[in-house]
Amino acid sequence: MGGHAPFGRLVLAEWTKLRSVPRWLMALAAVVGLTLLVAVFDKASDSSSDAEEGEPLEEPDFSDEFHFVHQPLTGDGSIVAHVVSQEDSHEWAKAGLIMKERLEVGAPYAAVLVTPDHGVRMQWDFDHDVAGSDDGAAPRWLRLTRSGDTVTGYESADATNWQRVGEVDLDNLPSTVEVGLFVASPDAVVIKRQYGSNSVNETPTRGEAVFDRVSVEAAGGSPSPRDGEWSDYDSADEPEFGGSSTESGGVFTVMGSGDIAEVRRPFGDDLVELSLSGAAVGMLAAAALGALFMTAEFKRGMIRTTFAASPGRGRVLAAKAIVLGGATFAAGLVASVIAFLVSQASLRNTSRTPGLPELSLANLTVLRAVVGTAVLIALVAVLSLAVATIVRHTALAIPLVVLPLLVPSIVEGGLPLSVENWLTRLTPAAGFAVQQTITRYDTAIAPLVGLGVLAVYVAVALGVATLLLRRRDA
Amino acid sequence: MTPRRARCLRRAVRAEWTKLRTVPSLPWLLAAAVGLTVAGSAGALASVDTSQCPSPSECFEDTTKLSLTGIRLGQAAVVVFGVLAMSSEYGTGTIGPTLAATPSRRLVLTAKAAAVTTAAVVAGAIGVLGSLAAGRAILPGNGFTSANGYEPLSLADGSTLRAAAGTALYLGLVALLSLGVATAVRDTVGAITGVLALLYAVPIVAQIVSDPRWQRRLARYGPTEAGLSVQNTMRLDDLPISPWPGLGVLAAYAGLALLSGLLLFQFRDA
Repeated sequence: MGGHAPFGRLVLAEWTKLRSVPRWLMALAAVVGLTLLVAVFDKASDSSSDAEEGEPLEEPDFSDEFHFVHQPLTGDGSIVAHVVSQEDSHEWAKAGLIMKERLEVGAPYAAVLVTPDHGVRMQWDFDHDVAGSDDGAAPRWLRLTRSGDTVTGYESADATNWQRVGEVDLDNLPSTVEVGLFVASPDAVVIKRQYGSNSVNETPTRGEAVFDRVSVEAAGGSPSPRDGEWSDYDSADEPEFGGSSTESGGVFTVMGSGDIAEVRRPFGDDLVELSLSGAAVGMLAAAALGALFMTAEFKRGMIRTTFAASPGRGRVLAAKAIVLGGATFAAGLVASVIAFLVSQASLRNTSRTPGLPELSLANLTVLRAVVGTAVLIALVAVLSLAVATIVRHTALAIPLVVLPLLVPSIVEGGLPLSVENWLTRLTPAAGFAVQQTITRYDTAIAPLVGLGVLAVYVAVALGVATLLLRRRDA
Repeated sequence: MTPRRARCLRRAVRAEWTKLRTVPSLPWLLAAAVGLTVAGSAGALASVDTSQCPSPSECFEDTTKLSLTGIRLGQAAVVVFGVLAMSSEYGTGTIGPTLAATPSRRLVLTAKAAAVTTAAVVAGAIGVLGSLAAGRAILPGNGFTSANGYEPLSLADGSTLRAAAGTALYLGLVALLSLGVATAVRDTVGAITGVLALLYAVPIVAQIVSDPRWQRRLARYGPTEAGLSVQNTMRLDDLPISPWPGLGVLAAYAGLALLSGLLLFQFRDA
């Protein structure tokens, strides 16, 4: 490496600088303290003491509402139908074939279905979902075959070339099951704007689909003894949105409402995200530290000594970024772990959403949010380091870094939801998405994608900073 | 005030005014405050239309408040301005000559406060006028027309005038708060981070805390939310705090910061 100091020694030198300035250590402590602030605040103001803690409200974690045109099938066999058309009542409206153990809410099932926006799917037992062809909207041929305990779903464009969508082993399937056509259409989230803020409501929707060429065959290709004798079953919650079906000349028109899937809580509180939300305050201290870590060198002229000792300017920036990122990651991790542990119980007590599961750090989604928060804080610090290198002025660097991170929360509730979501997606504030553990009606971006957006900002800023550091006089 | 002291104050204010004009970054920061305010307001205005309302006349949109949204961005530049007005003297060491020329520290701080506040209020007024002009230009195109019950924004309307004047004063108080904090802590980074946290983090915390009593307290006594209550022109009875008392809360923060700054300034070596 010529006259260059080994990179390890460079990192060590930067680490010595960081730990020997008391003010910077105070900034690290502030990262922890401010991040914990909200969690501790919630814990302290939790007035619902153990005394009034009653029975936790238990709600089933699945929804089993749909309209079902069915008949029994004994032994092995299959059902085939052509979905002629499906009304676009909801992106996740479902129309297709289902095989259900018995006509009872919560009974095991397997289904193959089409959706308006998510192609063909094979689903079973509420929490399993396999994607078929993406473009497989109605019109589409569907087939569901039972062989022993195994149910297989197929799709086809022309009833000749069949493609397997998925296969499932439903344990202890009785010899007689109910098979038939089903339609469901989940509740839609409706956002209205009045008095300068958004009000959000959930309203039921009703889907409609037309099927023809329906046939049920017992094993061996013979028509089912009961083929042609169909009954209706409806489990929709809202009576005025109950389903119905009509049949004329082998063409079935089925209307149904509800959803047969894991329960979705679009308005549920994300307790993990809430407990970690103090990071929005703690990152201010991280941004201050990041900017100072570079501008202090310019201000005191120390940068000339630093560059005399190690002329590779890009390497100096890299060493600084590693030390700063590592230190703020550690501080952020301490803060986020404590914040999570401290506030979960009190948040569960005060939450408006009943039946939320107890979560621990061993849960991978929780772990992603907790560790992701530490990464988020480290990325903010490094972004600030890079921006400070570019503008060489702490007083400018801090607002330049902090303002874009805060903008979505500054305008929260004041602008239409779609605009707020785009602000979140496009600004470095997307990084806060990593704290999400559930999908809500206002979720703007997936957790890791959001963190990726922030990482891109950091990478670009570091690139520009390296370029300018090489070109400019120190 | 004796004529002699008045003359001293006038001179000190003129000296501070000259500094504000000639320290290179300060005029730019005021320009940035105006630019951010108008751009932020225009962005907010462009993003809101009547399509999500039950019907255009049932939006009940506070178009004045919407037009003044950008102040939430513009205030960041004013924070830096208010802090640098004091801390740059410590950073560059000009605090020595300043105190040699005007030995009364109270006079120095009073003069600085007068110059900084005036400059921020003027910048605020320009930003507010620009924002209202943007409102007049953008609102009708988004369905907020006279036919739907939204009169064009006008300063002849009492509540709009109050919102506009109050918003400009808000910016002056933010500058004063920043100056006070900077005088107390004498450190650019600490002061900027602290004031930004106070102005931006408190509203965020208010959204997050689960206890409704604390949500209300933070909405009433947080500096940003209380201070910007002055922008409301509709449903004034439902506000956590009424317009002028809200601005008074921010004034109390600024006064407290300035007072503690003054005390520390007087009893500390420069």
